[in-house]
Amino acid sequence: MSNANEKFQFVKIDEFASEHISAPHYSYWKSVFKQFFKSKLAIAMLIMAAVIFSISMIQPLFSNYNPMASPDISDFSIRFNRPNLTFWFGTDHWGNSLFDAVWSGARTSITIALLATSINMGLGIAVGAIWGYNKILDKYLLEIYNVVANVPFLLVAIMLMYVLGPGFWQLIFVLCMTEWLSIAYFIRTQVMIIRDREYNLVSRTLGTSSVRMISRNILPFLTSVIVTLLSREIPSIISSESFLSFLGVGLPPQITSLGKLISIYITYYGTYPYLFWIPVAVLASISVSFYIVGQTFADASDPKTHR
Amino acid sequence: MERKVILSARDVVVKFRVRDRVLTAIRKVSLDLYEGETLAIVGESGSGKTVLTKTFTGMLESNGFIAEGKIFFEDQDLVQIKNNKTWEKIRGSKIATVFQDPMSSLNPIRTIGTQITEVIIKHQKKNSKEAREIAIDLMDKVGIPNAADRFNEYPFQYSGGMRQRIVIAIALACRPKILICDEPTTALDVTIQAQILELIKNLQKEFGFTTIYITHDLGVVANVAQRVAVMYAGQIVEYGTSHEIFYSPKHPYTWALLSSLPQLGIKGEKLYSIPGTPPSLFYEVKGDAFAQRNPYAMNIDFEEEPPFFMITESHFAKTWLQDPRAPKVELPSAIRDLHATIVKIYGKEGV
Amino acid sequence: MTSKEVLLSLKDVTITFPKGKGVFTAVKDASFDIYKGETFALVGESGSGKTTIGRAIVRINPVAKGSIEFEGKLISEKLGMEETKWVTKSIQMIFQDPATSLNERATVDYIISEGLYNFHMYKDEADRKAKVLKSLTEVGLLDEHITRYPHEFSGGQRQRIGIARAMAMEPRLIVADEPISALDVSIRAQVLNLMKTLQETKGLTYLFIAHDLSVVRFISDRIAVIHLGRIVELADTEELFKNPLHPYTKSLLSAIPMPDPILESKKVPLFYDGSEHDYSTDLPSFVEISKDHFVWANTKELESYKKILKI
Repeated sequence: MSNANEKFQFVKIDEFASEHISAPHYSYWKSVFKQFFKSKLAIAMLIMAAVIFSISMIQPLFSNYNPMASPDISDFSIRFNRPNLTFWFGTDHWGNSLFDAVWSGARTSITIALLATSINMGLGIAVGAIWGYNKILDKYLLEIYNVVANVPFLLVAIMLMYVLGPGFWQLIFVLCMTEWLSIAYFIRTQVMIIRDREYNLVSRTLGTSSVRMISRNILPFLTSVIVTLLSREIPSIISSESFLSFLGVGLPPQITSLGKLISIYITYYGTYPYLFWIPVAVLASISVSFYIVGQTFADASDPKTHR
Repeated sequence: MERKVILSARDVVVKFRVRDRVLTAIRKVSLDLYEGETLAIVGESGSGKTVLTKTFTGMLESNGFIAEGKIFFEDQDLVQIKNNKTWEKIRGSKIATVFQDPMSSLNPIRTIGTQITEVIIKHQKKNSKEAREIAIDLMDKVGIPNAADRFNEYPFQYSGGMRQRIVIAIALACRPKILICDEPTTALDVTIQAQILELIKNLQKEFGFTTIYITHDLGVVANVAQRVAVMYAGQIVEYGTSHEIFYSPKHPYTWALLSSLPQLGIKGEKLYSIPGTPPSLFYEVKGDAFAQRNPYAMNIDFEEEPPFFMITESHFAKTWLQDPRAPKVELPSAIRDLHATIVKIYGKEGV
Repeated sequence: MTSKEVLLSLKDVTITFPKGKGVFTAVKDASFDIYKGETFALVGESGSGKTTIGRAIVRINPVAKGSIEFEGKLISEKLGMEETKWVTKSIQMIFQDPATSLNERATVDYIISEGLYNFHMYKDEADRKAKVLKSLTEVGLLDEHITRYPHEFSGGQRQRIGIARAMAMEPRLIVADEPISALDVSIRAQVLNLMKTLQETKGLTYLFIAHDLSVVRFISDRIAVIHLGRIVELADTEELFKNPLHPYTKSLLSAIPMPDPILESKKVPLFYDGSEHDYSTDLPSFVEISKDHFVWANTKELESYKKILKI
């Protein structure tokens, strides 16, 4: 009976007990990486991208490949060697090692892609953020965008390359010339969606400056969108570069790139197919691996996928 | 008085799969609905009031399922219904639902008229001319002025209150036996709310349907309900007639809900406020789910789940306070003489 | 109310928004004073312009006509840097929906510090932290919450974070825009109590915007009723509940849902659509009919109101 009495005695409740949050601390980036590494495909692609990137940055330092020099041009025995243990990717019509050529070309292509992407993204995000945020600016920029967006990119790019003449920086200029504006436009639309959410109104009542508003209230919400853009931008620049090089406008003869290799070796598409297919495979591997890594990362950086 | 039970739920358990965890939203709920009555289900969000009624129309979200229990309606166990075809014979035609947001129940690009007639044609097998007449008559009954003129207008041309009237008209188009009103006035202004409540009551008199009214607002409950079920953390914790629940409630959660109403607040004094938050239903609840927030919690509340204690024929409370071994507790002073208190604050007629 | 010092004063404030080619007048000639230390309630239904007025006071909505003065200074026009800073710090807002009014990608620490950062209202990092913790404690939250993100909190907790954010600025006037209508019934009382306590300890003045008179009776000293952009009645809370004059006020009062089945069964809701007024020749104005009781009426209506008040 005493037991029963005890059971029916009042208990003092701790009013603060329920204020505690028992769940472990949430960290945005930790959750992003956790989510990313759940995908086996993404891990494989990340490794592939890392390997391709490292080889193409390091190998050319040792090979000293120079498309202008063909030291073994008189040695017919090393022309058109199929891939073998000495020449892993075989040799071409001048007896140059395709292995050296491909990595030298990959280095150029990746460098151009990374440089142009950084410029495009940097400029695009900065302009897009201000563009989406400022209603007056929007009117004018929209007009400019409408004009630029309706000009066919390749046509202008080819024309400009003729005018500017071939060159590494000329090519980067052409690849960045209009592309950043379409990124800016995309960002602008995203910013406009977020701009009118209520917490931004709150920030205004707290006297928050526009710069802080963009950097703390808006851009953090665009992480996923920006990564998605990035993952599309790198492969797209690589293919634009290749296409321009393929057409013979773009890089000067002394600099090789994957696009140029493909345009040279397409002649041997029927007779020595490895000359064509190996650079194409490397080009595709770069694009695909960067793209899948980027897409998975973009998905992972959307907090809706976190738990 | 022996009344006919129209719908009867027995030990219903509803679970949801959320990512790789399981949430038990309804924990063994039993409920009888009598023909012609208005039953109000009150509770805060997450208490399971909407989930419970969704099981009556087979409208649980796809990650939810009835794990246990039976729901009887017209000699049929609704839990056993697996295909949508069978559900369509019940949902809408025998048990209809009016939701909180009228816009979500209306198609914005079709006229009000077609949206009502389509239901009539489908369920009552009328031709379009007859359906039109019935529809205009219905629009008239739910209080749409110049119904014939407004027949061909679109939802955006209607105000929020008018839209909700249309939703009610559509719900009544097939003469359902049960009308579930899921917070139909929460999104509306107070004066419109009063009108819609009046309307539902009048229509009930005319059409004779049974109403389940889901709300978190005890003021609304007092207006519409003959019987009240109070839900907390996936269970019904007290049910009784409206007078029993308001004037002699027995469960400390009902006390807390009533005492914390701003309508009862006395200027210069603090309102009673319920500390804390409801328990997470991802975990099994031990004892009484309200114990952590209950100023009258006893040791046993943390150990054993209380059974239902019968207070009167119609009044039941799931609290250990009703156990003969428990200390006697009086109603909190704020709600002891509810009617007298309110008359004192607002004057004789209320307001 | 001990003193009757005017803190905020609106005179003939009209607020318009562009709508299509023309303008839409959201608020028409609103005039009222808010005294220091009181809770002034602005009650109306959706589209009445109550939130628009609140936002004009915190300088989000521009004023088309009329003036808003705070502590005797005109704040409804373009202000200099220093004055803007002063107004922003002095008048803070509490928002309706805690689900949308917090930056989801920021920690509680940043959310509460946001205003402090903007005006550098702290000596050093330790001082800032101390201020954040003080605000958190004041609203009943714990120190450990400082590193958490909004989505980890319940609705009531989130609303208290919003209150703490406003309090960190040490304002004198708080515009509370329906601060409890988006909250669950069981936590409304908690937030109302908190607001009352903060008012007492800090000597705050509230403009409490609501759509429901029942909440307002408990918390406010004076009430203004607004309908379609026009303030139709203004009186002390007691007076307004005892002697409501304007038919719209009466209809709002009759619509309060009472937790009392006996009363509710006798209830006759009053409907108001404005058709009872005849303003064709006899034009209405905002008149002080008895001491501190204002009503929007024409001379004929005033006569009948006076009969009701027996004056």
